[in-house]
Amino acid sequence: MAEKDKVYKFLSPVGMELPVKTYPLAPRLDKLDGKTIHISITGEPDITIPLEKKLRADYPNVNWTQKKSYMPMPVMLSDEEMKTTDAVILAVCW
Amino acid sequence: MWGQLPYLAKLEKAGIPTALIDFDDQHEMVKQEALAAGVPNIRYIPASRTIPGPEDVDQWLEPMLEMLTRPLTEKEKESGMYTPSQDRILFEGTLDEAQEFYQQTRHVPEPLNAPISVYTDGLPIVLPTEERVREMLKGTSHKPDELIAYQSDRGGRFERRIKKGDPVRFQPRAWTATVEKVAINAVMAGCKPEHLPVVLAIAESGVQTGTTVFNNQWMCLSGPIVKEIGINTGTGMMGPGNPAGMAIGRAYQLMALNLGGAVPGISRMSSIGSPINRVGLCFGECADKLPPGWLGLNEEFGFKKDESVIMVMGSEGGLTGAQFSPGGYRALQKSGHGGMARKLGVKGIPGPHNWLDWILPDIWAGEREGGRAFIMTHEMAYDLYRLGFKSKGEVLEYIWKKSFEPLKKYRDRSWVDLFTNGWLGNEPQSGKPWKELPDDYMVPAAGNRPEESCIIVCGSDEEICYEITATIRGMWGMQPVYSINAWR
Repeated sequence: MAEKDKVYKFLSPVGMELPVKTYPLAPRLDKLDGKTIHISITGEPDITIPLEKKLRADYPNVNWTQKKSYMPMPVMLSDEEMKTTDAVILAVCW
Repeated sequence: MWGQLPYLAKLEKAGIPTALIDFDDQHEMVKQEALAAGVPNIRYIPASRTIPGPEDVDQWLEPMLEMLTRPLTEKEKESGMYTPSQDRILFEGTLDEAQEFYQQTRHVPEPLNAPISVYTDGLPIVLPTEERVREMLKGTSHKPDELIAYQSDRGGRFERRIKKGDPVRFQPRAWTATVEKVAINAVMAGCKPEHLPVVLAIAESGVQTGTTVFNNQWMCLSGPIVKEIGINTGTGMMGPGNPAGMAIGRAYQLMALNLGGAVPGISRMSSIGSPINRVGLCFGECADKLPPGWLGLNEEFGFKKDESVIMVMGSEGGLTGAQFSPGGYRALQKSGHGGMARKLGVKGIPGPHNWLDWILPDIWAGEREGGRAFIMTHEMAYDLYRLGFKSKGEVLEYIWKKSFEPLKKYRDRSWVDLFTNGWLGNEPQSGKPWKELPDDYMVPAAGNRPEESCIIVCGSDEEICYEITATIRGMWGMQPVYSINAWR
């Protein structure tokens, strides 16, 4: 067999993706009024400042909470805070 | 995406519905990270990069809130196990067939809209046959199936503490790799077995590529390895022509693609990209020509003089260094002639003169703030030594002090909004809240500490100093120097 026809096995350079257990999304809310909804702000004040203002103005019956960072890493809710939080909005992801 | 998706996944798993606002071009990255975090069906909606905020919010506020109330679809209710295939043999065929296979491309849509190589940097590779990989593995005592793990305790991003033995998760996809996987990429890059410990040390860094901005990846070798593998530390050391430097630099970029899954336009979003990353950049310091008392990078970072290390940098910003002509520099130092001497007020006076005064603090004027890697020729380092700088530390302290500027000016910079967390925290030097400081308060533009910059001495003779925007120590708490000896 000519050298150019010789068959080789070539190895994969691709990294190993670990198996991941996947979960369903959390059940959604039946309504917004009366709920505690947390706004997790991660930068982009041009978007997040008007977002928070509009949410508070247009949905006064929601108990809005907020934690903010100018950085992309969110300031996380504590385990205790998670117990009293019904939903979370995160903006902006980058 | 800096931990946003794992956080949202934690909330969804805890029964808290979430809504995520991103940008159009980030959707693929959101999907990939959501899957890696175990919640592949996370709900997201894009904001605009250009429409003013109030108008933009009006467009998607209602659908965004609906993401919290709209009942789940059957797909969104699914749970299970994502088990990707992990085939060791990627292709079987002739050399010609394999070259074509490894050079296959995929079309990446907007914001790229062009073919991008699946397994390579776009150029032909050395094909990774089993035989070549086996030969490459002779360059290390580590077993082929050993998982790439940290060889020492160290700092990671956002002050995360990494422990020796923790597996390296290659970014952005958080994949893992074995020693054999690194050897395969080293073969493809054109490395020799004696380069493998260096490539393994690079792999230990996780071969990050940055996110949305102009991020340069570069590496500097220090210690006996420089001579062992024949790294160019002299003229043109950052340019082409040196086989070891070229192949090792390329290995970084191939590992970023193959081990990290960093695909331009999908999960590698550096806006315009960087020419430094086009093939990869690895060079070495010229320890033989350091002035007396000036330590090499290995000793500076706590290693012994006979230990080999590599500094692996991801630096956002530019490479400058043509502020003066080499002839102008010589005129300054030989006889006090020329423009440099006029600026320094030393006309007619032979050197040594402090050339740093000629470039400082202007290098921060049109560039971003933060540390710099000063890459200078040995002659220029010796001029500083003769002026009384008996260590690199003394030079770095001098540079840092020259960088102070009024807070009023510092506030007009862009990145500082981010790094001061929107001016919410305290100024590091005084410990006082940023918002309480007067306009004339002086702030160091060169970072919080002198050691955020570094000095690399080069063996070439043409007088020049490059400055690479780079916070060497302490950025995000990361430690950028890795032992090569640990991977021999």
